[in-house]
Amino acid sequence: MRALCWEGVGKLAVRDVPEPRIRAEGDIIVRVRASSVCGSDLHLINGYLPAMREGDILGHEFMGEVVETGPGVRRHKVGDRVVVGSVVACGGCWYCRTEQYSLCDNSNPQPVFTEKLWGHSPAGILGYSHAAGGYSGSHAEYIRVPFGDVGAFGVPDGVPDDSVVFASDAMPTGWMAADFCGLTGGEVVAVWGAGGVGQMAARSAQLLGAERVIMIDRFPDRLATAAERVGVETINYAETDVLEALRELTAGRGPDACIEAVGMESHDVGPTYAYDRAKQAARSQTDRPTSVRQAIMACRKGGTVSIVGVYAGLVDKFPLGAAMNKALVLRMGQMHAQRYIPMLLDRLAAGEIDPGYLATHPISLEEGAKGYELFEKKQDGCLRSVLHP
Amino acid sequence: MTNNGTRWAVLGVTAVTAVGVGRAVARRRHRHQPERQDGWYVVRRGVTVDRSRDGVIGFWTDRERLDRALAGWATLEQLDDRRWRCVARDRAGGDTEWRAEITVDGPGTLRWRVEDGPAPQEGRIELVDAPQGRGTEIRAELRYRSGPVRRVFGLIGGDDPDLALRDALRRVKSLIECGQVMDTRDDPSGRSPRQEKATDKVREKLMTGGRA
Repeated sequence: MRALCWEGVGKLAVRDVPEPRIRAEGDIIVRVRASSVCGSDLHLINGYLPAMREGDILGHEFMGEVVETGPGVRRHKVGDRVVVGSVVACGGCWYCRTEQYSLCDNSNPQPVFTEKLWGHSPAGILGYSHAAGGYSGSHAEYIRVPFGDVGAFGVPDGVPDDSVVFASDAMPTGWMAADFCGLTGGEVVAVWGAGGVGQMAARSAQLLGAERVIMIDRFPDRLATAAERVGVETINYAETDVLEALRELTAGRGPDACIEAVGMESHDVGPTYAYDRAKQAARSQTDRPTSVRQAIMACRKGGTVSIVGVYAGLVDKFPLGAAMNKALVLRMGQMHAQRYIPMLLDRLAAGEIDPGYLATHPISLEEGAKGYELFEKKQDGCLRSVLHP
Repeated sequence: MTNNGTRWAVLGVTAVTAVGVGRAVARRRHRHQPERQDGWYVVRRGVTVDRSRDGVIGFWTDRERLDRALAGWATLEQLDDRRWRCVARDRAGGDTEWRAEITVDGPGTLRWRVEDGPAPQEGRIELVDAPQGRGTEIRAELRYRSGPVRRVFGLIGGDDPDLALRDALRRVKSLIECGQVMDTRDDPSGRSPRQEKATDKVREKLMTGGRA
């Protein structure tokens, strides 16, 4: 079969690779119908998380059709249209039993890297480097999905592939970001990053009761899309002092909750950003925490900072004093896909969330490298390239 | 170098740094050494399994399920009331075989002693209820004999009993909780056979931990 493979830092190519096989009773094989690029792939492609091997197949946000099932699979049959959570969860450990699927104890077969880096190993993730288990990804014609009964979900009729594909990752990540905020109704929520996850977080915050959502980015087309599609207020940080603007918009209080949906390659203007770039280039810090710093400084006293942008290692100048003395709640994590996907599919079918507009660039598998380039450089209004193998 | 004062200052700083680093390395090495008792190396490791004690014991007594779970990793054969023969499979060839005597000391406690294996070893397993309904703690104590030279060569070759114990406990937990031990070595990739072989070596280090 054909698959989009990582060939070294910044290099991708489509190669012929063997087809996946059923390896365990609970496995299913899915023919991929739609597989989205994701901002967190860029950290892998660009070598910021040094756990890729040449030939690894990328992609973790996808949907498709079941073509084969292991003998232990009960919930799915050949021909079912399914969406699959990016996080691999066994369904049998304490973390899975308590719906903290991205912390699954058993799904990362190569836990040593993350145990050394983070103290414990979280769950494996499909197509997400050898730190996350070394699973083959979804930018391919077929993919093996372990624990198919736990990780794959039947898709309601009538919802297009290019909408439902985002129920794999962007929607549950955005929902979890808003869920972390503990919204009870009437809050002001600020969201850093107007990409797919940020826009889903904004919509989720509205559905969970936020009265106002303010989105921060520097790309006018993304901010315009968010304002039009989600109904958010916007701040362009390239033109405006974000902290000043947020204070102004909230009459001095600061947002009740701040969602960070940017991650370790965060961008800013000014000398601090140059300093972060230099440290990251010299490998003396792995991540650039610009937007996390801003979120902590902007958040109202006693508010919540929710981090769903992906960070891998060490950051510099983390404003712990601000977080401590303002009594902030910091919540963060990879999303618990399996907890949220069924509810999100219901909301998709009911039309409460429609992420289809994120798929600005539907492309073939062979155009995958170009799709990532458009996405990384934010060219041609690209919010997401969605591969159709 | 401008004068003797500067030279002595640099030498002094270098010497102090060297001593400090040496002491730190020695302390760290000491902390990572296994305990020694009567000529045995002793390591203690534990893992929490999200099942009741009866559930954990039941896993080992249901032979059909156990054999299915162990398929591809190891085979167990009961020779008599207390003696077992175990063969651990190695994908690269060279399976390891040993016979062990297993004695049940009481509910949730057993001891084993390897009769003819790769290294003299014995151990003890205790099952304890984990707090807050978190299941069962499997606490293992492994005692093995090894000389300093043999141990160093074992560590270099990745053949460390401590690592093997940690790996075994992780596997046991996974088998009990989800019926399989995950393995992505045969997942498709765009690698050549030579690249795949090199990647498999990296995978093995990430599965079992390299040096402790």
